[in-house]
Amino acid sequence: MSRVSVLGVSVLENPSPFGRPLRFQVQFECGEALPRDLEWKIIYVGSAESEEYDQVLDSVLVGPVPAGRHMFVFEAEAPNPSLIPESDAVGVTVVLITCTYLGQEFIRVGYYVNNEYTDPELRENPPLKPDFSQLQRNILASNPRVTRFHINWDGPSDQMEDIENVDPEPEGVLSASCTSAKGPGTALGILPENSMDCM
Amino acid sequence: CMLHVPTWLLGKPIFSVDIHPDGTKFATGGQGQDSGKVVIWSMAPVLKEEDEKNENIPKMLCQMDNHLACVNCVRWSNNGVYLASGGDDKLIMVWKRAAYIGPSTVFGSSSKLANVEQWRCVSILRSHSGDVMDVAWSPHDAWLASCSVDNTVVIWNAVKFPEILATLKGHSGLVKGLTWDPVGKYIASQADDRSLKVWRTMDWQLETSITKPFDECGGTTHVLRLSWSPDGHYLVSAHAMNNSGPTAQIIERDGWKTNMDFVGHRKAVTVVKFNPKIFKKKQKNGSSTKPSCPYCCCAVGSKDRSLSVWLTCLKRPLVVIHELFDKSIMDISWTLNGLGILVCSMDGSVAFLDFSQDELGDPLSEEEKSNIHQSTYGKSLAIMTEAQLSTTIIENPEMLKYQQRQQQQQMEQKNAAIREAAGTAMSAPKVASMVNGESLEDIRKNLLKKQVETRTADGRRRITPLCIAQLDTGDFSTAFFNSIPISGSLAGSMMSSQSNQQLMSLDSNATNSLGISKPSLEPLAASIKPTDDAVNKDGVNATSASAAPPVSSSSVLTTPSKIEPMKAFDSRFTERSKATSGTSAVINTNQTAIDRLKDQNLIKENKPKDILESSSDSEEKIPATKPLSLPKRKLELEAEIVEKKKKGRPRKDSRLVPVTLTVQSPAALASEKDATCISAPALALKLPTPIPQKSFTLQVSSDPSMYIEVENEMTTVGGSRLSRLKCNREGKEWETVLTSRILTAAGSCDVVSVACEKRTLSVFSACGRRLLPPIILHSPISALHCTVLNYAVMTANKHGSDTSVSQILLTQHGIPVMSLSDGKAYCFNPSLSTWNLVSDKQDSLAQCADYRNSLPSQEAMLCSGPLAIIQGRTSNSGRQAARLFSMPHLVQQETTLAYLENQIAAALMLQSSHEYRHWLLIYARYLVNEGFEYRLRELCKDLLGPVHYSAGSQWESTVVGLRKRELLKELLPVIGQNLRFQRLFTEYQEQLDILRDK
Repeated sequence: MSRVSVLGVSVLENPSPFGRPLRFQVQFECGEALPRDLEWKIIYVGSAESEEYDQVLDSVLVGPVPAGRHMFVFEAEAPNPSLIPESDAVGVTVVLITCTYLGQEFIRVGYYVNNEYTDPELRENPPLKPDFSQLQRNILASNPRVTRFHINWDGPSDQMEDIENVDPEPEGVLSASCTSAKGPGTALGILPENSMDCM
Repeated sequence: CMLHVPTWLLGKPIFSVDIHPDGTKFATGGQGQDSGKVVIWSMAPVLKEEDEKNENIPKMLCQMDNHLACVNCVRWSNNGVYLASGGDDKLIMVWKRAAYIGPSTVFGSSSKLANVEQWRCVSILRSHSGDVMDVAWSPHDAWLASCSVDNTVVIWNAVKFPEILATLKGHSGLVKGLTWDPVGKYIASQADDRSLKVWRTMDWQLETSITKPFDECGGTTHVLRLSWSPDGHYLVSAHAMNNSGPTAQIIERDGWKTNMDFVGHRKAVTVVKFNPKIFKKKQKNGSSTKPSCPYCCCAVGSKDRSLSVWLTCLKRPLVVIHELFDKSIMDISWTLNGLGILVCSMDGSVAFLDFSQDELGDPLSEEEKSNIHQSTYGKSLAIMTEAQLSTTIIENPEMLKYQQRQQQQQMEQKNAAIREAAGTAMSAPKVASMVNGESLEDIRKNLLKKQVETRTADGRRRITPLCIAQLDTGDFSTAFFNSIPISGSLAGSMMSSQSNQQLMSLDSNATNSLGISKPSLEPLAASIKPTDDAVNKDGVNATSASAAPPVSSSSVLTTPSKIEPMKAFDSRFTERSKATSGTSAVINTNQTAIDRLKDQNLIKENKPKDILESSSDSEEKIPATKPLSLPKRKLELEAEIVEKKKKGRPRKDSRLVPVTLTVQSPAALASEKDATCISAPALALKLPTPIPQKSFTLQVSSDPSMYIEVENEMTTVGGSRLSRLKCNREGKEWETVLTSRILTAAGSCDVVSVACEKRTLSVFSACGRRLLPPIILHSPISALHCTVLNYAVMTANKHGSDTSVSQILLTQHGIPVMSLSDGKAYCFNPSLSTWNLVSDKQDSLAQCADYRNSLPSQEAMLCSGPLAIIQGRTSNSGRQAARLFSMPHLVQQETTLAYLENQIAAALMLQSSHEYRHWLLIYARYLVNEGFEYRLRELCKDLLGPVHYSAGSQWESTVVGLRKRELLKELLPVIGQNLRFQRLFTEYQEQLDILRDK
């Protein structure tokens, strides 16, 4: 079972000028005390075209985490404009908040972000070279897209002990093992339609 | 018999179904998207077609996808408080409803999937090494049994999860079904090893193993849910074979004989479920020639997709429904009234069948059932539970009125709250609720200013999250709950559907009792839920399209044309990042890099020790003065192991000097009403003083059936030790706690008094209510004796005090109050010529008392008067602190009672009528909420006084200027809120009416 469930994320100070820090208030619940810290990251997607332009705005450890409901504010500096392709500066992009435990990502919260000029003049005739100082960042806070992944909360312990056996993508293996052997397909297999044992 | 298949329940395989004891909801367990799934559904839409069609009535109340793999079994505890679920992930999860949290959505899901109720996992039980196939609560809810493909049955202590009481080993195959004997003497299990085993609960040893009916069985049934009849006489197995035909074997309790079976199914029987009721033949027109024997009713489900219902008095089945589903029947659950069943199937559907009493017979009442148990087996474990209280008939129309009014009020309040919240939720995520004049938003802001951020050894930022609620109690601070209001109409209709529990099936295809054709399932396929992606995408489009006009408004994407390219981002939402930085990168680095890092002591995630060290380092840097994160640092309850007290007749206390001096002064004679208390005269006698003992018991000389037990410093709460005073008289028992060690005690049938080490004398009523604030003795106690209504106190004179008087004031009634430098305040009681303790700043009772639920409303907390002036405002911190001491509920109750009684007595002493009434009402509410009948009764009795005038009565009709009977009138609606007290309510209501008519 997922030991940590994110109850909500509030986007603070939204909308705000492009250069201002991003602030999220995260509320989560933890069923059992976690022996290790959670690692939270804010990733700004610079361009839809390639992950190359992703910027990890910040990563922070959160802990200790006893059982209960918790809350913290995650603040990160604004993305570095120089790393954003000029063609992608204005318009829609995405900001992601991810959380990992023992190196395994178990939740990803994504928001659409719209960057646009507040000045109607600039909006009509945007400058060729984007003027970030005039851009307003608007995070579509009402519509988070949340993806959850199954991870092993006890940690890939064996693999941790024995570093040689570390799987390049431990989470991939884990999620596969977590998927039930009793999907609809196999459920059929359990009950062969022409079972004769009791006829 | 009527059949109804709710279409909205279709989906993935459903392995288990169970109806809540209150009949308003049911749970299903099965396969989810990529996990196991437990869903709690509302019963009303199943029962009533109009509720089913009403879109405002939520069908799903809560879904939990916490199980990692398929859920094989869901079972409610008999009291309805808990739900246990077991699954292929080898886990059993125990769920409890968090009552203080309103409806909320699953973060990120569309609002339709809002969880109307909040059920959270309170225990995860780990022991099985294979899939958990079945779970079962014992009749008295003290045990939970689980069985697994690991061939074992585990008995859990349901009072103290996750304690294991026993692991029953003996099966040599996958254990696939469990059932408790209704009187709690046995538990039976059925396994793939072709055996059914009965275990004794007395010693958890095998009673018998039955194999013969199973010899021919092949092991391919997914579940083997067997069942025990409610009268305890029969145990019916799942899949058994007789002459190559599948049967359900009937096993008689008497000698475990296997002479009968239910025959007729074409394939293996997967589930047998007895109706919880015992029936007797319906009497026809009073022409009952011979009284018929009570009989039981049993439903049998099979892999042949059909269901049969049997009465133990009939040789043939009452009903057979062929091909009810497309796939095997997996589980059956009866409603508590015994007239309906839910059946679930591997094909992902659930069917509801409704019977009439004509078909099944007249159900015996619980009392009759219990009588059968008692006459057959002696004492039954199936005791009267809380759940049954809810079905108690309301005997008094006045009571009914109060109950209805209360429900209505709650509904109005809820609606108002929803309206209010809906208004604000539209504009901003701000929540409008106010706590002590502070908005939730303000509180959050203040909290976040205090967010603790440190640096780890390698320079990374580490935030200590703010704990906003503990999980274990389910008692969340209402100030912080994260709820999203549902619309007013929805909540309203929900409520009405809950209050209307009439059982009806409006299926028009109803036929007579036999042979129901397969209901149409065609339209069901169309109602497949859109995938999450589609829902979310639609959501985005909808929002942006509808919100296009206000250009500069916040939080919307303004240009629809920009939505299209957003699809490019889709994968970014759902795919895990590929080693963007930090930990995952570390994992992917090669061996040499890791070695290098190891040397630098940097790879935290990979080295448990390192991270532990670094985290403890940073913890030390956290400033110690951070009040709001306090709940995290749970104060260990230094529960001392209490010495086992000797049972049996307590010896008489011989430690006290046998000589007693009773001196009466004129002042005391004048007030013979309550008590007489005189300090020892200045005689040069040297009197021995008793030494505090760990615990002692004494018998009251005037009433040999009465014992007083004292247990000093039995527990420590919030740094101060509590001592317990227990009084037992003719089986009636009361308890209270004091903050000082008790030196001596004395009692009569009317009062109990104890003298404490802190030189105070406390007086309690026969039901344990404090009658006076602690009386201050001039010197340590020496002896204490008590007659019917008088008692004599002898103290040994010893002076010396280092505290000074910090304040003296006179109340408007002329009561002198003296505050001392040590935070204590005393007032002078002219009638007893004593100083009484009315306030103590260090009083741990005040810190631990938790009577929030009994407060009428927020503003009523601010009650002004001399007591409030002396004590200062009752701080919120005290109430919050109550949560962090994590004390047992019993101790909390006792401290709360003791505190409230102190307050009442102090207000009385100060003659502050306003405050007296205030605290009396809180106290009464607390007694009602927590179910303290004796004290409540005594309180009412005192307020009512004698109904018929008698000359010798010492009862006074007023207290501090308030008419006692008026106070009683105020209390009655409070008492009426708990159905348990309806007799009490009726009694006093009638007496008040008599008095009024006079």
